[in-house]
Amino acid sequence: MVVKSKSDEELIELIVQNHRPALEELYDRYVKLIYSFSLKMTKGDTEKTKEIVQLVFLRLWTTKRTYSSEKGKFVNWLLSITRNIAIDHIRKEQKHQGTVQLEINEWQQMQDQQTDDVLQQVSKNLLKQQLQEAKRHLSEPQQRLIDLLYWGGYSLSEIAELEQKPLGTIKSRLHQTLKKLRNYFNEETGGVRHGK
Amino acid sequence: MENKCENLSLYIIDELPEHEKEPFERHLKTCIHCQSEIDSLQATWQMLSYDVEETDVPESLKAEVMDFIFIENETPLQAQEVSNNKQSFLERLKLILTIQFSPLSIGVTAVLVIGLIGLLWINLHLRDTITALENKAGSPTKIVKSFNLKGQDLAGLANGNAYLLKEGSDTSLVVKLNNMPKTNADEVYQVWLLKNGNRQNAGTLKPDQNGNGLITYRLPKDHSFDEIGITLEPNPDNTQPQGQKVMGTS
Ligand SMILES: [Zn+2]
Repeated sequence: MVVKSKSDEELIELIVQNHRPALEELYDRYVKLIYSFSLKMTKGDTEKTKEIVQLVFLRLWTTKRTYSSEKGKFVNWLLSITRNIAIDHIRKEQKHQGTVQLEINEWQQMQDQQTDDVLQQVSKNLLKQQLQEAKRHLSEPQQRLIDLLYWGGYSLSEIAELEQKPLGTIKSRLHQTLKKLRNYFNEETGGVRHGK
Repeated sequence: MENKCENLSLYIIDELPEHEKEPFERHLKTCIHCQSEIDSLQATWQMLSYDVEETDVPESLKAEVMDFIFIENETPLQAQEVSNNKQSFLERLKLILTIQFSPLSIGVTAVLVIGLIGLLWINLHLRDTITALENKAGSPTKIVKSFNLKGQDLAGLANGNAYLLKEGSDTSLVVKLNNMPKTNADEVYQVWLLKNGNRQNAGTLKPDQNGNGLITYRLPKDHSFDEIGITLEPNPDNTQPQGQKVMGTS
């Protein structure tokens, strides 16, 4: 069976039937993305990243439901699995350390890095570039929220504690932040207003 | 905007507590406001993943990942069997481990379940149970080694797995057997640990009516072994095997 020519969905169907080459093909297609993504979530810890990648593919292998494209793009599905596993990993660590600690400089460093990234990758990844742009339209607390929530794996109540704000404030901040990003994307990518 | 609409973002990022999910999904079916928002906000949330720097993957990783899946975990067939009665299996396991073989801690139970099932990530309920168990456990438990067991002769259809678990300075062996032929009256299956021709008794078991059996054995300090053998003994508590060998590490 030639797996190279199969779609992602067909590969998942084969995996459900315990077809190992299909899993290997998915690995070849997506490992770079999953690895890079996990590496960011673990703040560059290659050991932890390796464990996460192993668990992601184990999860794929033990999938007993066929994936249907109605659930959205395959890659998003894959990344949400990756993110969940990574968060489990990160949270477990935090529990072992007792309390959750915030290093206020950490997010700042992350931001600095990201600004550099934009310069390096200008032509490489349009979407990423747009995302960075969009993030720049966010207020500082909104940016911090996204970094802690999406990449840091913190829960909203943990963030409320870190920010010393009521949970309700953080919840509505999240809503405002998502809306702001969305509106920016819509404007930038909608129709003729492509490019600047 | 209704009160419930505030939960939309939490629903999208999967931070809504379990008991609020279902009520929100009901709300979603009737709320035009949320319906018009959900897709674009979800896409926005997913878009955040693009904020990643592409990194080169170590060459050796593929082999490690595949070994992790195909050597350290059960064959898919067995995994599937387990998935059919995950709940009862977990309950049974907990019962056996906590009542009958009390030396094993809750942490061991959790790791054992993870090792045996591997389907952990699919079943949320099971995952929560295990997380709850793990949080109760003090020191982390690790599977340090796993073995495949193959049946022979009268137990030719049987198979099994054994896991060597380490928790702090304690080492335990857990043996799980499937498809074992029934035993008569006094007959038992006995587990032996072999090292340089010496045999150490690691306990006996009788399979249930489905031919499944599970045994846990706490290893004496610094005790090591190379292989596992299982014999069918005419009566329990023999110090040396009298019956024939029916299973072993392959
Ligand atoms: Zn609503």
